[in-house]
Amino acid sequence: MLRRPALTGPATDLPRRKPHRWGVLAAGLALAVLSGCSGTGSTISTAVEDSTSAIATARLALSLDSAGKLTRAATSTALDDALKELATSRNSVLKLSPASEGDRQSVQEALSVLDGCAAAMTTARDAVAGGERAPSLSDGGQQLSEAADRLSQLGAKDGGK
Amino acid sequence: MKRLLGVALGILTAIGGFVDIGDLVTNAVVGSRFGMSLVWVVVVGVVGICLFANMSGRVAAASGRATFEVIRERLGARAGLANLSASFLINLMTVTAEIGGVALALQLASSVHYLLWIPVAALAVWLVVWRIKFSIMENVTGLLGLTLIVFAVALFLLKPDWGNLAGQALAPAVPAEETATTYWYYAIALFGAAMTPYEVFFFSSGAVEEGWSIKDLVQSRINVLVGFPLGGLLSVAIAGCAAVVLLPAGIAVTSLSQVILPVAEGAGKVGLAFVLVGLVAATFGAALETTLSSGYTLAQFFGWSWGKFRRPAQAARFHLAMIICLFVGLAVLATGVDPVLVTEYSVVFSAIALPLTYLPILIVANDPQYMGGHVNGRPVNVLAMAYLVVILVASLAAIPLMIVTGAGS
Repeated sequence: MLRRPALTGPATDLPRRKPHRWGVLAAGLALAVLSGCSGTGSTISTAVEDSTSAIATARLALSLDSAGKLTRAATSTALDDALKELATSRNSVLKLSPASEGDRQSVQEALSVLDGCAAAMTTARDAVAGGERAPSLSDGGQQLSEAADRLSQLGAKDGGK
Repeated sequence: MKRLLGVALGILTAIGGFVDIGDLVTNAVVGSRFGMSLVWVVVVGVVGICLFANMSGRVAAASGRATFEVIRERLGARAGLANLSASFLINLMTVTAEIGGVALALQLASSVHYLLWIPVAALAVWLVVWRIKFSIMENVTGLLGLTLIVFAVALFLLKPDWGNLAGQALAPAVPAEETATTYWYYAIALFGAAMTPYEVFFFSSGAVEEGWSIKDLVQSRINVLVGFPLGGLLSVAIAGCAAVVLLPAGIAVTSLSQVILPVAEGAGKVGLAFVLVGLVAATFGAALETTLSSGYTLAQFFGWSWGKFRRPAQAARFHLAMIICLFVGLAVLATGVDPVLVTEYSVVFSAIALPLTYLPILIVANDPQYMGGHVNGRPVNVLAMAYLVVILVASLAAIPLMIVTGAGS
């Protein structure tokens, strides 16, 4: 949830002091935390987890709507929120600067799957909004189901690395 | 008979008014990620809020003055300022979260974007604070908030495996997908949500607004000791619904629209109608309480004339302070910041500020100069000291855990 910016800044020519043992420890800890949170693998993994949750939310909302248990206002709000969550995940992957060919491929693959998820979510939202040429709720459900499968495959692949 | 009705009304409004946006969001997040394994924190939090709310109600009834006013006088300006800074900033954050919560709840009912509802919600809060009598305000929002009982009803209708839920609650363990640090981070968030500082300031200032005296102590005690634990059960039901429906589906709660899905699944559109009324009432009621608490704390520290029992012209600075707080909340929400995120941070910062809120209350409640023969008894002091240790540990651990877990992500 909390996205940290990269720690960049101009170098200064202040006189250097001998680092204190606690200072070294704190810096090491901070580095470990930051590197643990901003690596390509972990960012993709978090994005996949968050997107899986968003797609699952959309599927649940759509099925409740189909069963007549949810109002259109509540369904469309749930889908909008899920789409926002998906967009946040996609942006986090988009901001990555992959260092190796393998990382570049992982990013491309993740973006492709997340784009598919966004398309499925948009179909579901259009289905709920209704209208003459709108897709049916079952079309929306079907696309969300396929998106969930693709995310699950990506997650399994990502987890295996 | 009239007295009995008064007691019943007090209990019902205490239950209905217990849950706010912090409880709604945090319990749903925790239920969807940790199942029932953090229910013990709700129990610890509810006992703590009962202990300190009862104490501050007693201070108000025995001294005829609000707790914060007495703290300022008894501990001096510096300690009072530390108490004010911590409580007021958390309050301001909570006002922002509650107004955002009202707007999100109205979006769920109408599908009109929540940003459009925010000015409407803030205006409605100001109008009620300005025009409506304290008792009417408290009773209406409290009673309407009771519709959140639909979470408990939905939990029964979902026919969960009760043995499994009880097992998770009674033998808490960190789920395999989560880390121990995240578990403890959410434990602190849940504790902060249950023990939000504004509740005690509102409770004691409300006691002065309603003119409580020593003879009202029994009713105050019943309200707290019966109403708050039953309100705590509502919190558990919210977590239970999330644990039964959202956790197995792999949904980690990040928005208010996800919180209502289990109710719709269990109780259909009727349940949905109840939960939407409950969400609006609970967040609107808490927005009123936090707005008033902001005015109370500032006015009581600076010695301004305060209270809804006075005409606004007689407590102009008190009312002006509340209007400014509402504008600050509006300005923050107008940036497009997610109200759920504000809520998540506000409950954790609440936990950080807890020692500065509750230690002064304990000191004042032991001062015979203000309390006469109603100072804390030995068992209350022992329990309160134990709680201060818990509060201090939670407060110190909150920021490191927030950094390490990336705010629980």
